Amino acid sequence: MDILFLLIPLSVGLVFFILGGLWWAVHKGQFEDIEAEGERILRND
Amino acid sequence: MHDAAASEKDRLKLLDDPQEWAHFSHAEHDGACASSVVFEGMHCAACAIAIEEALLQVPGVQSVQVSAASHRGRVVWSPQSTRPSLWMTAAERAGYRAVPANDAHAHERRRQEARRMVWRVAVAGLCMMQVMMYATPAYVTAPGEITPDMVALLRWASWVLSLPVLLFSCAPFFRAAWRDLRQRQISMDLPVALGMLATFVVSSLGTFEPDGPFGAEVYFDSLTMFVFFLLAGRWLELRLRDRTAGALEAVLNRLPGSVSRRTADGGWEPVSVRRLAVGDVLEVLPGQALAGDGTILSGQTQVDEALLTGESRPLSRGVGERVIAGSHNLSGRIEVRIDQVGAATRYAQIVALMENASLTRPSMALVADRMAKPFLVLVLFAAAAAAAYGWSSGPAHAVMVAVAVLVVTCPCALSLATPAAMLATAGALARSGVLVRRLEALQNLAEVDTVVFDKTGTLTSDAFALAEIHVRDGVLPEQALFWAAALARQSLHPVSRALWSQARQRAQHVGQLAELEGQTVSEVSETAGQGVAGLLLCRGGQPMALRLGSAAYCQAPATGSDRLQVSLADDSGWLATFELQEEVRPEAAGVVAQLQALGLSVQVLSGDAPQAVALVAAAVGIAAYRGGCTPQDKLLHMRQLQQQGHRVAMVGDGLNDGPVLAGADASFALGQAVPLAQSKADFVLMGGQLTVLVETLRRSRQTLRIVKQNLAWAAIYNAACVPLALLGWLPAWGAGLGMALSSLLVVLNALRLSASISAGSPATEDH
Repeated sequence: MDILFLLIPLSVGLVFFILGGLWWAVHKGQFEDIEAEGERILRND
Repeated sequence: MHDAAASEKDRLKLLDDPQEWAHFSHAEHDGACASSVVFEGMHCAACAIAIEEALLQVPGVQSVQVSAASHRGRVVWSPQSTRPSLWMTAAERAGYRAVPANDAHAHERRRQEARRMVWRVAVAGLCMMQVMMYATPAYVTAPGEITPDMVALLRWASWVLSLPVLLFSCAPFFRAAWRDLRQRQISMDLPVALGMLATFVVSSLGTFEPDGPFGAEVYFDSLTMFVFFLLAGRWLELRLRDRTAGALEAVLNRLPGSVSRRTADGGWEPVSVRRLAVGDVLEVLPGQALAGDGTILSGQTQVDEALLTGESRPLSRGVGERVIAGSHNLSGRIEVRIDQVGAATRYAQIVALMENASLTRPSMALVADRMAKPFLVLVLFAAAAAAAYGWSSGPAHAVMVAVAVLVVTCPCALSLATPAAMLATAGALARSGVLVRRLEALQNLAEVDTVVFDKTGTLTSDAFALAEIHVRDGVLPEQALFWAAALARQSLHPVSRALWSQARQRAQHVGQLAELEGQTVSEVSETAGQGVAGLLLCRGGQPMALRLGSAAYCQAPATGSDRLQVSLADDSGWLATFELQEEVRPEAAGVVAQLQALGLSVQVLSGDAPQAVALVAAAVGIAAYRGGCTPQDKLLHMRQLQQQGHRVAMVGDGLNDGPVLAGADASFALGQAVPLAQSKADFVLMGGQLTVLVETLRRSRQTLRIVKQNLAWAAIYNAACVPLALLGWLPAWGAGLGMALSSLLVVLNALRLSASISAGSPATEDH
């Protein structure tokens, strides 16, 4: 069970890592216009 | 930081330039300026009141209206004694950033705000999930089953992950609460922020000082969970509210930011829409919106004018035809010469009207807002009392009960109930060509039991045919018509408009249009319900004093006809009488029947001869009619109806019956040809069709029903949850969930009203 003493701090680090990824996604505008990408195929130009 | 402050100052300074005012302000009649602004940092109805109070403190600010639902505000200020930068700074000191509503940056900034909000929810959500993992062992194991070291480690990990939630995700709550404290005010964020802080402090003490007075219990899972629920609820609510107010926004932001203008050498250059001038030639591609009223120089296309005229079908437009600002070019590339820009366009009038409407606060909402403040004070006391009561049996538990009370009672739902529903309806109505000038009118309309129609231009169409001309001996009918037309041109009365257009048609026929249009009239004065008088300057002759109007006004002899008549007289008496044939609107009879089926009594009041009124009333199926009414008579008759306990809706053309429309409980104007700004009616039917009337009435009843549901739900929710929380049966996370759900439910319920009106409405069945 001693391995938990390593795994739990690691999981905290992992959360921060994922948060970093999310930050990138949000601020690159990934969530702003969710429909547009799907509709793009229907457009002519 | 210093740079940011400096650039902010520059931004405000720029707005002091009168040229910049014009983009978000317009002059009021008494020299004051009315500005439209968007306030950032608003959360609730109490914020709207706080902003209003802060701005009214600034000398020179005459009135302020802020809408909690749309975050928009209207500030009336006097250019002599203040500047936009002064009152905007005052708003900033109060903790809200004011941005000119038509500022292109407003959109960008709103997007950033939305982005930050998503990010806050994401941080709270992710941390919540992980904290929940760390909390699970404590729930599923018996005491002593895990080593104390491991328990401490799990708590430490929870604490670390709660930090970003508290410091970042909760920041807006803390900022708002701090602002309120500094100003000795109270808003919905204060109890919530207190709850968050208390939970975190108690849990931190449990982590680092397990032997302290609060024991070893931690509540990081509750904290992260209710923060997540609150934020997620607020974010969804924000998006939904954007959709309800969306139809309003759709009109407000319809003009393109930049347009493609022809240069002197025949090329095209992009310019800001603000720099557009009359006479410019623009290139408008399919999918783009028109930036000004104009005439097509080349190209053939279809345009969508639905938001402006209520006409939902695409309209064909070719060379030489007019297109209007705010309409959409649907199919072909066109080149357009701009004839009107800015405030002169019909689009601008509609926008101004809608902006003002969305700011009016219905009386039901005012009551809710006023109740919110004492209620919040009560909540603080109740929470303190609950904590004090349970203190002896366990301080940590007592604090958590208080936290649940603080979080669960946020009266957001109560303050959202009315405006959300009414804005949704106003938006839906706008999309089908009905402008709502006052939100309150929706409430009044729902209670109406009598509908009074004006006849001319309302039950009958605007178009008249000239049936016969009677003249004094020695006067030529054509000459009399020319004189009458010169006067008629000065008036907006439907009969005058009809006379003018008939005269024009005849003049065009005989090739004398230039002569007709060359006539000039001075000293024009119009008497409502009587007629118009003026001095006609004939070429080479004496000026003639002419009167055009009712038979009594011109001392005209009786013609023995039931038709609509208008007479002309000069100083020596009667000159001519024009008999006009009017046509009953094709949809009028159906609308009357539908209104009667809805249980309303329908009447006609008209200034015309009683026989003419009787004919029209019989044609549309109305039994109660009255002719020969002056505007005073109409008003008197309506007052009598109101005294008998009836609620009266008046339908008129919006111009000649101004006082009657203003006196009615709810009023409609058929406003196709009427300048919108002059119209006094609560509702303007832009399509000039009566059919939407019935649907507007139905929708208003539905709105009132939903407002009542919302208010009842909000009241029940608070009445049920506060005792539960006080008794300690509602955990803090449950309180957060309940709070978020109650607001969401109110907004979702209101959203039902934003469904398009076209479904099942006879107005569009023929498409």
